[in-house]
Amino acid sequence: MTRVPLRPLARILAARQTGENPDKIERANLAARHEAGRDGQRERVEGRLLALALVFLAAFATVGAKMAVVATSEPVEPKAAASSTQIVAARADITDRNGRILATNLSTHSVYAQPQHLINPDIAARKLAQIFPDLDEQRLYQRFTGPKKFLWIRRRISPEQRDAVQNIGEPGLLFGPREMRLYPNGRLAAHVLGGVSFGREGVSAAELVGVAGIERAMDDELRDPGRGDVPLALSLDLTVQAAVEHVLEGGMKVMNAKGAVAVLMDARNGEILSLVSLPDFDPNDRPPHFAKGKPSESPIFNRAVQGVYELGSTFKVFAAAQGLDEQLVARDTLIDTKGPLKWGRYSISDFRDYGPNLSVEDVVVKSSNVGTARIAIMIGEERQREFLERLGLLAPVPLELVEVRTARPLVPKNWSGIHTITVSYGHGISVSPVHLAAAYASILNGGVKVLPTLVKGAEATGERVVSAETSRQMREILRQVVTRGTARQGEVPGYHVAGKTGTADKPKPGGGYHDDKVIATFASVFPADDPRYVLVVALDEPVETSGREPRRTAGWTAVPVAAEIIRRAAPILGLAPDIESRGRQGVKLAQF
Amino acid sequence: MSYLEYRVRFIPAGARKILHVNWALVILLTAVASVGFLMLTSVAGGDVSRWAEPHMVRFAAGLVLMLVIGLVPIWFWRSVSGLAYVCALGLLIMVEFFGTVGMGAQRWIDLGFIQFQPSEMMKIALVMSLAAYYDWLPLSSVSRPQWVLVPLVLILIPAAIIFRQPDLGTTVLLVAGSGIVMFCAGVSWWYFLGVIGAAAGMVFTVFLSRGTDWQILQDYQYRRISIFLDPSSDPLGAGYHITQSKIALGSGGWAGKGFMQGTQSRLNFLPEKHTDFIFTTLAEEFGFVGGFSLLLLYGLIIFVCVLSALGNKNRFGALLTLGVSATLFLHVLVNISMVVGLAPVVGVPLPLVSYGGSVLLVLMVAFGLVQSAHVYRWRN
Repeated sequence: MTRVPLRPLARILAARQTGENPDKIERANLAARHEAGRDGQRERVEGRLLALALVFLAAFATVGAKMAVVATSEPVEPKAAASSTQIVAARADITDRNGRILATNLSTHSVYAQPQHLINPDIAARKLAQIFPDLDEQRLYQRFTGPKKFLWIRRRISPEQRDAVQNIGEPGLLFGPREMRLYPNGRLAAHVLGGVSFGREGVSAAELVGVAGIERAMDDELRDPGRGDVPLALSLDLTVQAAVEHVLEGGMKVMNAKGAVAVLMDARNGEILSLVSLPDFDPNDRPPHFAKGKPSESPIFNRAVQGVYELGSTFKVFAAAQGLDEQLVARDTLIDTKGPLKWGRYSISDFRDYGPNLSVEDVVVKSSNVGTARIAIMIGEERQREFLERLGLLAPVPLELVEVRTARPLVPKNWSGIHTITVSYGHGISVSPVHLAAAYASILNGGVKVLPTLVKGAEATGERVVSAETSRQMREILRQVVTRGTARQGEVPGYHVAGKTGTADKPKPGGGYHDDKVIATFASVFPADDPRYVLVVALDEPVETSGREPRRTAGWTAVPVAAEIIRRAAPILGLAPDIESRGRQGVKLAQF
Repeated sequence: MSYLEYRVRFIPAGARKILHVNWALVILLTAVASVGFLMLTSVAGGDVSRWAEPHMVRFAAGLVLMLVIGLVPIWFWRSVSGLAYVCALGLLIMVEFFGTVGMGAQRWIDLGFIQFQPSEMMKIALVMSLAAYYDWLPLSSVSRPQWVLVPLVLILIPAAIIFRQPDLGTTVLLVAGSGIVMFCAGVSWWYFLGVIGAAAGMVFTVFLSRGTDWQILQDYQYRRISIFLDPSSDPLGAGYHITQSKIALGSGGWAGKGFMQGTQSRLNFLPEKHTDFIFTTLAEEFGFVGGFSLLLLYGLIIFVCVLSALGNKNRFGALLTLGVSATLFLHVLVNISMVVGLAPVVGVPLPLVSYGGSVLLVLMVAFGLVQSAHVYRWRN
């Protein structure tokens, strides 16, 4: 910038000539220069302030915008993540359908040591070893004098033990409260309940985390702090469960079986009233996970859910029901049962020869493989598959147990002609006993699909699988299985049991089938004229030895056990035996 | 004395000074403090005597103090600003040795009748001394390196002490506020770009040092930062504040739940609900509209201050006014950012609304100085 001189010579000279004071010019110029400088400075300051104001405004606008975003967001309460520092020991009780406790919490104590506060580590170690005989005095002493500042001594102790430890009088031995999960009924419903273990542990609390069964599957619900004191009510009936378990255990011994399953289900809504899998365990002292041997023979293996078996002839009901429902056959349609039935390189034959043909009713009652196969061929693979899918037999059963996730039914990979035939009489397809119970309930309760559940308060889906008429006819047919067919030992006076037996050879690990190892199943519904309950009993490798030859068929093994269960459980369920109508059969009413 | 002399219109004197107080500012401050009164009543569950009443008594006392300070000529304050800085620094050093530890940090000094934080006092003293320094310094030297070094030393000594207390929030506010004063004084842009670059480098180093034996920040500070970046990682632990305040804001929605209807903040979901997190209560009960209105009120205060500074012939007064409004702005910005989840949780109160004696008092003293600058704005 060119500076204007304060005293421009020309103007000064001119001023002098006119007699004016030249200093005036200098002063005016000086003022002008100051003014210019000040303006420049002001401009710069204002520029800076403008920049600052923009920054301020932008910052406030950002905050305001974020505020608006947060204000419009849905307030979501975060769930406690695994890393949360707070340990919540609370866990809701589990009860049966009548409010009787199946699982509850008990306040106990844990005992731990802070070695740096121990006055006499040697005395403390000795006295602790006296109170807890399994603790080693020497090792305790070593740990007490070691570098650690904190040692667990016992995770759970009884009140007596707590008093005894208290009386040692050591300030370095301390107690923390600890919730403990208690199953007051011991082994009852062990597989349903599953079990818990301690999760994250702190001095003042330890998390109880479900590890199996419903404790694991509904862990979030049970641990929800917002739940309060509301227990989880299961559909199980404790009394029925005890009766079923008792009878099944006896039956398993009598039939020399190595495992047994019973599932008792409300036919109308799928609520499971009793679920027993033997051998079982005590959830208070849960065995380690599949300790040794085959997992499927461990006591913690839930055969009713995890066990998927080829359930044999019990599947004939599905073929018959579908045939009737789709009006491919009628009850009295004669089916060609001349064996053996050739299909490609396969040959299907019956347990015994039933002659050239049987009615559909008799195919089921006498359990003819050939006859069922012919019905299945009429149905065709596509519709057979679709029907079984509708019954829920091809997907994991939707039960509130964590084990169901790994228990997927085994179905033929490419469902072709021969599979259609074998599936129709229950081979080449493996499902769990709970699957079978739910499918029987759906067909026989009037034809409305049910979903099995262990939580009280279920309702029927309303989805129809077969017509009410088909359902009624199937009940009548299955009733005849008991009155004159393969399940004659299943008759329980007054309860009109209807059902179907199934004796399936167990597959060998390498392929093919054992001829002396079977799964014997009896799937039944009672009372047949007003279906209320479905009972599935399955025995693993039963042998009935009272006769001259060992008998393995379901009619001799699973059926009598099931009959005994019904005899015991039905009165508890509140079913009155209907003796009257039976007695009336022989009476002629006098007519006037 | 100077070229501006002839422009001096009027230097108020005597009782007439009252008329020249910036009354708009007084009204705005009272409005914000009243919001604080309402909110403190609400968080106490309608109990006025718990926090709201002491808050209002302190505000009234602060208002009187502000007017008294405001009527003392600005050149008096300029002459004592060096002294104020020395006093504040002395107290800061004293608190290192004799301070009481409150809430995990050594910040408080106990004078028997009142406890206060010298770091709060330092915020004002630093602004004052910087303003005085740049008033004294000829404009042409402002950007000379040796003359930039002096204010840097003035800033960094107290900043280092406060950082060691440890109080990250106050340190950042102190440095940023002083930086704004220097910026307004006309220090070259290049210095600021340099500092911002250095700060970015430092943040990088700080994170690099985590877990090594020369770790710079406390563990809890790292945790707060990483939880700020992902609050859901620890909703019940250290992320609790942020998550709960977001829930409160979200449940407030646009118009809020109504006065004393906020459940999140009143049902003790929020710690510090009457101090650093009081904004959540406002946002929950009066919604976005309420929260944004408070933001506007603060903006108006700053606007009034900037106007006053623009019209101020006195460089000290102008810089002081700008410095005080910058400090206010930073407090508001950091506090609300933290509540809405834009910034990590640092202990910064919401000026005039949060419950807290020394912060309120220091703020009123600062606005007293602003008033003094305003009353004497015509004289250089």
